[in-house]
Amino acid sequence: MPLFGTLDVKPRLVEAPLLERLESEPWELPGAEVLHLLHEIDDGAMLPLLPPALHPTIPPTCHVVVTHAPESPAGPFVLAQVRVGCRAGAFQRGLVTRAFCDSERAASELRRRFGFDAVRASVRLLSRYDRVEAEVTLAGRRILGCGLVDPLAIGADDVRYVDALNLARVVRDGEERARLVQLDAVYRISRADRGRPVIEALDAAAWRADGLVPRWAVSGSFCRADLTLPRPRYLVDPLRPALQGTERV
Amino acid sequence: MKFGIFFELSLLRPWDEEREHRLYHDALEQVRLADELGFDYVWAVEHHFLEEYSHCSAPDLFLTAAAVQTRRIRVGQGIAVCVPQINHPIRIAERAAVLDLLSHGRLDLGTGRSGTWTELGGFDADPDETKKTWDEFVRVIPRMWMQERFGHEGRSFRMPVRAVLPKPYQKPHPPLWVAVTSPGTEVDAAVRGLGALGLSTGSLQEYEGKIRTYKRLIRDCEPVGAFVNDQVATVNFLFCHEDEAEGVKVGQRITGTFNYLAAQLLSTREAFPTRSYPSLGLLPGPRAEAARRGEGGGPSDSITIGDPTRVTKVLERWESTGIDLVNFLVNAGETVPQEQVLASLRLFAREVMPRFRREAPSAAAGAR
Repeated sequence: MPLFGTLDVKPRLVEAPLLERLESEPWELPGAEVLHLLHEIDDGAMLPLLPPALHPTIPPTCHVVVTHAPESPAGPFVLAQVRVGCRAGAFQRGLVTRAFCDSERAASELRRRFGFDAVRASVRLLSRYDRVEAEVTLAGRRILGCGLVDPLAIGADDVRYVDALNLARVVRDGEERARLVQLDAVYRISRADRGRPVIEALDAAAWRADGLVPRWAVSGSFCRADLTLPRPRYLVDPLRPALQGTERV
Repeated sequence: MKFGIFFELSLLRPWDEEREHRLYHDALEQVRLADELGFDYVWAVEHHFLEEYSHCSAPDLFLTAAAVQTRRIRVGQGIAVCVPQINHPIRIAERAAVLDLLSHGRLDLGTGRSGTWTELGGFDADPDETKKTWDEFVRVIPRMWMQERFGHEGRSFRMPVRAVLPKPYQKPHPPLWVAVTSPGTEVDAAVRGLGALGLSTGSLQEYEGKIRTYKRLIRDCEPVGAFVNDQVATVNFLFCHEDEAEGVKVGQRITGTFNYLAAQLLSTREAFPTRSYPSLGLLPGPRAEAARRGEGGGPSDSITIGDPTRVTKVLERWESTGIDLVNFLVNAGETVPQEQVLASLRLFAREVMPRFRREAPSAAAGAR
């Protein structure tokens, strides 16, 4: 059998988002910009970063995703996420280790509705003709500096994103339970560029990703898209193999 | 319709030298039996770094062992990866020629370009380039075989004039194929006069359309070699048992394991945005079909598992599409004991194969 993660989720649950209801309306994010960087990471870190429900990708990977939403039900925001590439059973997923958002209101709603472990920070996404840059600063400390160099247009159909999993506390049958909340965002891409991915700085501890070191750049893309964040449809028990522990909402 | 067996050589954790040793030697025992039973082909893949899914990185070595232990069955390299960081074209031509000599002219050479980032990234190869390098390789390899001396100034490699040696036993050269997983590669195959190996996308109805397109285009092709290899092959799963329910149950263990292992790898499509890789990696067609349910919730009606009657019915559907060759994956992750795999092959050869053949079944099929 493929390897399973070894992350002890209990300490994470203390600060994990609480979803009291799962009946959130979908969020429409028209005209969004999405920077996506994929790197291979040290294999020593891959198992401690994932809960026992999930398998690491072969090879182990991390995704950096920075989304600028000029419009949303909570107003404009920029959201940065670090995800660990994984498989829930046979399905491609990315486990969000932590997220930072430049809007307090949006961060709060993203936590409450979709389970993003998002807190306020300075998050910036800047696109130029020769590069795309993103930066996250928390309490004056730069915890992410990354980007994409020499973007070249590619087909909108060439880009593929994997669905996110957020570790959260979810109220089910009146009880609070640890669950991975699956978020199947829908991307309607109108323009896509590909370029050389660069990560200048990534403070793994700040992203709750101790040991995560991006070692080998794989790909980078920058897209303009209309996004839909639908209501969560699947929950995964983080302690059981996803094949057995997945529940449809 | 012809039949073959197809090896990925998958192995579940924990793997060690004893289990890898047994995996290879169990596979060779299956090849020897398949040869006796009248199967037409044995194919072996070339994959690198694909943990559990495939421990078959040197198919020409495996097939050499298979060739010297058998008499009749053709040995198919399915495929040689035509990416210069992985294989230099001269080395592909040389090693294939040696295998053809040692097998007394029983080699079919499949070509392809790898579908996973796990492999391409491991060799630091550029996914945008692999279609182009494949196209260059399939045009030069037959010339290396047929010309006494050969020189080349190309896109991915150059060489002054040299004699590429040895030359294959088959003249003018062994049949050439290309692995077809991405939509449209059947067209690439047809216009170059190559056999379409493992045409593996879509439903049976979609297959019919693709085979019609292939057969129409290949009539007017400009072959990259000295002759046209007008054949379409597909890959399927095989488990044949006297009891239908048991056959389906064990067969689904094979398909489920195969799908699960394949899904853990990083396909190029998932990792690297490019037009060059429109489909999701390894054998997407059989994987999708294996996951699909047929009428009544049973297995898909295109997967060859069950009792001889069910397997025959499925193959009749395949035969109606105009397919020339069906290659079977007979195990996955060694989840089915060797004796059951051998029994499945014998039952298939005794009860099913004759219905698609003019000649009588081989004597070995009666053995238990």
